[in-house]
Amino acid sequence: MKYMLMMNTMRAEAGVPTWPRADLQAHIAYMHNLNRELRQSGELVSAEGLSFPDRARLVQAGRDGAPITDGIFPESKEFLAGFWIVDVESPERAYAIAARASAAPGAGGAPLNMQIEVRPVMGGPPPEML
Amino acid sequence: MKYILLMSSTQAGVTGYHTWTQSDRDKHMQTLRTVIEELKGTGEFVATEGLAQPKDAKVVRGEKNGLPVTDGIFPESKEFLLGYWILDVATAERAYAIAGRISAAPGPGGVPTNMPIEVRQFADRATNAH
Repeated sequence: MKYMLMMNTMRAEAGVPTWPRADLQAHIAYMHNLNRELRQSGELVSAEGLSFPDRARLVQAGRDGAPITDGIFPESKEFLAGFWIVDVESPERAYAIAARASAAPGAGGAPLNMQIEVRPVMGGPPPEML
Repeated sequence: MKYILLMSSTQAGVTGYHTWTQSDRDKHMQTLRTVIEELKGTGEFVATEGLAQPKDAKVVRGEKNGLPVTDGIFPESKEFLLGYWILDVATAERAYAIAGRISAAPGPGGVPTNMPIEVRQFADRATNAH
């Protein structure tokens, strides 16, 4: 079963953390280690980080089909900061991996305990939508 | 340059989709399939996935003991990621043009949905924390 683990952030929290360099490196090392474990267990499908919200654009087709771009978002908007797609045996395993990611160390080495959204991946539109 | 096109909606938007006629859904999905086929032809296609409905979403946090704490209650206003496309394109404008095509996919009665598509570049490897 494929699951997507989404790390969301508000605009105010986005940007390079102002943590001491050692804390930032510990955070990155923790995530690298998690990804390596998931690769070794064969559960990692992909993991990507996205650019910061200031580079996000909202695109809508105009009447003539030409794209209209906008870079203004409501303050309350959650931005996807990064994601993992994992292929696991059970939802519980996906939740356990999400908890590992959630517990990545922040400033001072304390676990961030950030929220990670977990959803099954369909591989296509859900059957009931076709 | 790799870009991700994010299609998001609220629970209300997902409920609305379920009221479309079968014929309208078929035309919508056919347009999206055509876009994917074209992108495969140009070599710009990397990946696409659809996600399960918001009711199957869980939010996970790591607790002090490292165990996952799950919750499935979300505010009404929460935007859920419904699906995404990953592209490898020469310019940001090309990513916007493709997002415009997707935005213009037909909705009820064949009228373009013009739904907003968020476009973000992947983090540079040098600054990609994960």
